[in-house]
Amino acid sequence: MTGLAGALVEAWDELRVHKLRVLLSLIGVAAAVMAITGVTAAVDMLGQAMREQTERWSGRDTTLSVSAWSATGTGDGSAASAAMLDVVDRYAVTYASRTTWGQVAAELPGGAQVLSGQMVDPAYGIIHRIVPAQGRYFVPGDAERLAPTLVVNAAFLSALGADDLSGHPTVVLQGQQPVTAEVIGVVPDQYPGEPPTYTVLLDQADRWGLAVDPWGQGTQPPTLELWVPPAHVDALRERVTADLTAALPGFQVDATTPEGSPAVLDTASRWVVIAVSGFALLLGGLGLLNIALVTVRQRIREIGIRRSFGATSGRVFFGVLLESVVATLVAGAVGVALAVVALDVLPVDRLLGTVLQDRPPFPLSAALTGLACAAGVGALAGLLPAVWAVRVKVIDAIRY
Amino acid sequence: MSLLELTDVTRSVRLADDRVLHILRGVTLSVDAGEHVAVVGRSGTGKSTLLNLLGLLDSPTEGEYLLDGTSTRRLSGRRRARLRGASFGFVFQQFNLLTGRTVLENVAAPLLYARGRQFWSRNRLAAEMLERVGLGDRLDDLPDRLSGGEQQRVAIARALVRRPRVILADEPTGALDVDTGGAVMTLLDDIARESGAALVTITHDLAVAARSSRHYRLADGVLVPVTLVAPDRPGSLAEWVGDVPTLGATADGTPADGAPAGVGAAPARPALPGGAA
Repeated sequence: MTGLAGALVEAWDELRVHKLRVLLSLIGVAAAVMAITGVTAAVDMLGQAMREQTERWSGRDTTLSVSAWSATGTGDGSAASAAMLDVVDRYAVTYASRTTWGQVAAELPGGAQVLSGQMVDPAYGIIHRIVPAQGRYFVPGDAERLAPTLVVNAAFLSALGADDLSGHPTVVLQGQQPVTAEVIGVVPDQYPGEPPTYTVLLDQADRWGLAVDPWGQGTQPPTLELWVPPAHVDALRERVTADLTAALPGFQVDATTPEGSPAVLDTASRWVVIAVSGFALLLGGLGLLNIALVTVRQRIREIGIRRSFGATSGRVFFGVLLESVVATLVAGAVGVALAVVALDVLPVDRLLGTVLQDRPPFPLSAALTGLACAAGVGALAGLLPAVWAVRVKVIDAIRY
Repeated sequence: MSLLELTDVTRSVRLADDRVLHILRGVTLSVDAGEHVAVVGRSGTGKSTLLNLLGLLDSPTEGEYLLDGTSTRRLSGRRRARLRGASFGFVFQQFNLLTGRTVLENVAAPLLYARGRQFWSRNRLAAEMLERVGLGDRLDDLPDRLSGGEQQRVAIARALVRRPRVILADEPTGALDVDTGGAVMTLLDDIARESGAALVTITHDLAVAARSSRHYRLADGVLVPVTLVAPDRPGSLAEWVGDVPTLGATADGTPADGAPAGVGAAPARPALPGGAA
C-alpha cells in the first residue's frame, strides 16, 4: 500500500518539478485524446443528425405505421379513421397521428390555385420532429378552433405575399365550404422549387370538407402512426393489426416500422476516427518517449541518490514508468476536458449543417477509451526509460 | 557481535584490457553500534568503494561482510535496497540534494521508501529533523537558495530522517570552508550520538578524522588502523597520509618509525580521545 502510494507521490512530484518538460511532451498526447473524444462526439452528433433527418420523413425510430385499405377500393375511409382512433384510445398511445393527403383550392393573391396538402393530428409534429422555422406547429387545442389553422411551407407563405407571420396571414380554402384559415407556422421548403404545400389538422379538414382525395377515389382511410416504446413495438403491431382487421371487415391492414438506420455509416466513421486518432496518439507517444529517454539520462544522479535511500530497482522501474503513465493520464484528462469545452462552446451541429433536437450525450466511452489509450501510450513510452534507469549502476549514478 | 563486520574483503574490477584492478585488498573492519570511525587516504585509494560496500551499494569480490551478524553475500537486490534504506544514511561531499525540490521535500524523500507510520508522517518527521539541524525556518526554500553549510545540514537531516543505525559520510566537509565544515561535523557528531547511530566518515581532513574514536588509513586498497595525534602545524594530506608515512601507522596503532619531528610528540591540540586503534 505504502509502496504504491509512495510511487504515485514520487511520480507526481517528478511531473510537478518538471512541468515544462511534461507540458511540452504531452501536448501531442492531449491533442490526440481530444481528437479521439471530440471527433467521436462529433460523429455521434452526425449520426444523430442523420437519424433525425430520417425521422423527419418516416417518423421516430419505433413508430408503428398502420395502413388500412379496402380490398375492393370502395371502403369507408371515415370508418377506418374512427377505428384507428379507437385503437389509440384502447392502448393509451400518447403520440399517435392519423395522416392522409388531399387537395384543395386556395385563394392566393395571384389567383386560386389547387394545392396539395397533408392532414394530420397534432402529435404528427412530435413523431416527425417538425420544428417550424416561424410560428409553431399544431397543439391539441387547435382542433377545437372555429377556423382551421395551417402550417405551410415557405413557398406557400411567399405565394401569400407575406415574409413572416407578424401580420397573421390568412388564406381562403375552397373546400366543401369556403373557410378562412390562419397560417400559424412555416416550415422550410424541403427542396429548391418545392410548390406551395400546407398541413391542416385532420379533424378540421373533416369539418370543413378539405379532405378531398386528389385521385377522386372518395374518402381514403388515413395511415395511423403510433410512436411507442421500443419494448412494445412488436406486441402492439400484432394487436393493432388484429384489432383493426376485426373492426374493418373487407379491409387489408398492415403495420410496419421504419427500416434501416445510419448505423453502418456510424460504424465506418467511427473506425476512421479511431484510426486517425490512434495514429496521432502514436506520434504523441513517440514524442513523449524521445523526451523521456533524454531526461532519464539527465536524471541518472537523482536515480542513484534515490537508490541510496533504499529505492529498489523495481521501485525505480515502476516510478519511471508510472511517471509516464501519470503524465499521459493527466494529458488525456486535459484532452477530454478540452473536448468537452469545445463541444459545449462550438456549434458543432450547425457546422454539420443541421440543428439537433436531441443532442447525444457526451461519449463517455470515447473519453474512457481515450484515457485508456493515453495510459497505454504512457506505459509504452515509459518502458524504455524505465529499463534504462534500472540498468544504471548505483555507485556510478551517484558520482554522475 | 559488531554491527558492521568486514573480513578479508577484496573488491576487484576487470578492466577493458582484461587486466584485473584490485581496489580493496583484504580489508578487515568492524564497527560497533554508536561508534565513530574515520578512514583517511589519498584519492583513488578505494575509500569510496569501501563506503559503497559498507552501504550495500556494492558487493565484495571476495571476503565476508556481516551486517548485524548476518552475511550480506546472498541478499537479493530488493532486500539489499530495503536494508540500505532502513539501516544506512548517506552524507555526500557534494550534498546530492534533489534539484527542484524544497528543503522539506528533500528530507522527506527517503521516507517515500519507508513503510507504515514513517511513510504517512514523512513531512512531519522531515520538519522535525530540519528543526533539529537548525533549518526549521527554511522548509519551503529550494536548495540552491541555501549556503553550502546549510545544504550539508539538509543532507545530514535527510541522512538521519529514517533513524538509520549507520551514517556513512563521504567527505562531508569536502565542499565547505574550514569553519563551516567544523560546524557541520559538530552537528553530525552530535546528532549521530543522540540517535545512537554509528558514524563512518571518509575524509581528507585530519581535523574531521580526529573527531572519531577510531581511525584508519587506506592506501593502495589496504586498510590500516592508525593512531592519530594532531601536530602543532597545519598539515597537508600529502604529509599526513601520503607515501611518506608522516602519520604514524602501525598494525597495533603505535606511531610508525620515520614520523617527522613533532608528529605524535608535542601536539598543540590535545591528543584525540581514543586515539589508539
